[in-house]
Amino acid sequence: MSHGYHGCYLRIDVTTGFATRVPLADATLRQFLGGSGLGVRLLLDEGAVDVDPLAPEAPLVFAFSPLVGSPLTTSAKFAVVSKSPLTDRINDSLASSGFAVAGKRCGCDALMIVGRAAELSVLIVEQDGNEEEARVRLVPAAAYRGATCQETESGLRAELGPQYRVASIGPAGEQLVRYATISHDGRHAGRGGSGAVLGSKNIKAIAVRGSRRVEWARPQELTALSRDLSKRSFGPATAKYRELGTATNLLTFNRFNALPTRNFQSGTFEEAVNLSPEQLTATRSKTRESCVTCTIGCEHIYSVSPAKAGLHGGVRLQADKADGVRVEYESLFALGSLCGIGDPDVVLRASRRCDELGLDTISAGGTIAFAMECVDRGWLDEPWLRFGSGDALLRAIELIGARKGVGRVLAEGSRRAAAAIGHDSISIAPQVKGLEIPGYEPRALQTMALGFAVGPRGADHNRSGAYEVDFSDKVDRRNITLDAVQHAIETEDKAALMDSLIVCKFLRGVFEDFYGEAAVMLRAVTGWDATADELRETARRIVAAKRRFNLLAGWTPAEDTLPERFLNTPLPDDPAASLSRNRLNELVAEYHRQRGA
Amino acid sequence: MYVEFLGVPRQRAGVAEMVVEARTLGQLLVTLSHQLPALSEVIVGDRLQPSFTANLNGDEFISDPGTPLRADDCVLILSADAGG
Repeated sequence: MSHGYHGCYLRIDVTTGFATRVPLADATLRQFLGGSGLGVRLLLDEGAVDVDPLAPEAPLVFAFSPLVGSPLTTSAKFAVVSKSPLTDRINDSLASSGFAVAGKRCGCDALMIVGRAAELSVLIVEQDGNEEEARVRLVPAAAYRGATCQETESGLRAELGPQYRVASIGPAGEQLVRYATISHDGRHAGRGGSGAVLGSKNIKAIAVRGSRRVEWARPQELTALSRDLSKRSFGPATAKYRELGTATNLLTFNRFNALPTRNFQSGTFEEAVNLSPEQLTATRSKTRESCVTCTIGCEHIYSVSPAKAGLHGGVRLQADKADGVRVEYESLFALGSLCGIGDPDVVLRASRRCDELGLDTISAGGTIAFAMECVDRGWLDEPWLRFGSGDALLRAIELIGARKGVGRVLAEGSRRAAAAIGHDSISIAPQVKGLEIPGYEPRALQTMALGFAVGPRGADHNRSGAYEVDFSDKVDRRNITLDAVQHAIETEDKAALMDSLIVCKFLRGVFEDFYGEAAVMLRAVTGWDATADELRETARRIVAAKRRFNLLAGWTPAEDTLPERFLNTPLPDDPAASLSRNRLNELVAEYHRQRGA
Repeated sequence: MYVEFLGVPRQRAGVAEMVVEARTLGQLLVTLSHQLPALSEVIVGDRLQPSFTANLNGDEFISDPGTPLRADDCVLILSADAGG
């Protein structure tokens, strides 16, 4: 067995409560590493492509990685991999912190959950001392029914003990909202509805505790590498995350007509400055936090003006808590400019409520903004649901989380909602393969547009970092040529490797030669004679495995596109930002040619 | 010409924009580093540190210090990338 691994995964059937330790061959681990790569491979081996993602037999994988537990900065991460109930395609979403370390110490490289518990339950996985195998038990979770993610996690840790690490779903996951998240320590495996998959198994939370450590192949070298990487992580490449967080470029995107506004009807928002981290920092108190093992500290937590309990847009809301709100760019855009809302207190409150309910803020904001435009066009008879109305945003979030009223259809995501609403509303539904588009206007950032179109899990900024290319002199971002395709592929490959090793993408600017340095790290951890070229091949293999999953699940080339809105209308505030269907088709065809499809 | 700072460069500069005289991008950056010492981490000689980038008039991104500039140009200095 290789260093850095336990050489097995734990397959847990929550119908029976029985767990099986399944060996993992060294060759499999070397080919797929961990995280997203290993998770996809396990899903393919399990035959997950044909199943309904919310059926009991659908597997849900929590995949750790060879670097988890090492002193390398940002390595405490795990991937949650399944077939998405939102897209019916592959879904891999990542989250950070202690759950990854504690989960791996249970003596396995991944947890695979299948089946459906007879009642709402907490799955507990624990390992003590020299026990070879972890013990698994299910305990009733009726007391946590309807509890928020935070209430569930803190309640279980108080009940079980602080050494347990907990990943949980909120009310949205229990209600099978198709973009429900799995939350841990305030962070979320956010995209694609993994929370609904866990909810469909009647599992409210997973609590892990273990003591089984792996050996490192070259511990002294690993320590030196870790020190060096931590030192570099304090440099200018990560300054933006430390100083302003992921929202650093909000005003930049607005300046470049790339800040999606009012359901992508515009690329500039007149109230953008109110939502900017510069303004938030200047007008309210702020603290900063980090994930376990992270030296960057990208999490900026802002105070929010308290609101009294009462009726907001017809929904009774609780009084605000005094604690702060963790804010990301994607939440500010999706719940702010995309819904036409410039009141930062409303956006912060909405973001916090999504976190509590366990809702992906991008899909929640995207679906609500889509519904607001449908109301504007007279396609949806919910006159209260208007752009710019904070009460409407907060009310819609509550209804989605409870699957009540219009929330029943909005809980399905914008693609399914469009099918229910009709009127060709699919042309303005902001999604690719069913996954709502993140905060990058495709017409203004066209390499990113290609990345969205071909992304195996749908429109996604974490699996394709092509916006980096658009913000460089490599391409003309508003009029890209086929030369951009290679750049888009490079960012996709790099993301696949980072998500499988796993290291945080916020380190990407720190590496001068990412593949070379990744090979050195992997050698120190595993003892393999890994090379940069091998890891480039590994990255391509992982992307290919995701595409293979989709192909087997029914993918057709027609899915690799963008909504009609982006292909027949130039960006109103920047007519030079125009992308035709023919042009996108050429780019997608060239992408597949270069991928060898 | 106008220089507009965004993101971390704006935090460092302490101003959102300023007027500077320069004929090339390299001259502009050298001038800025003299006038705003707080930009020492952003500007290295006559170039931007790789984590930062420059854009001309909201259109093309520029990096060659020899890139000619006109008096009515607007040069934006910003972080090279940031995601959510």
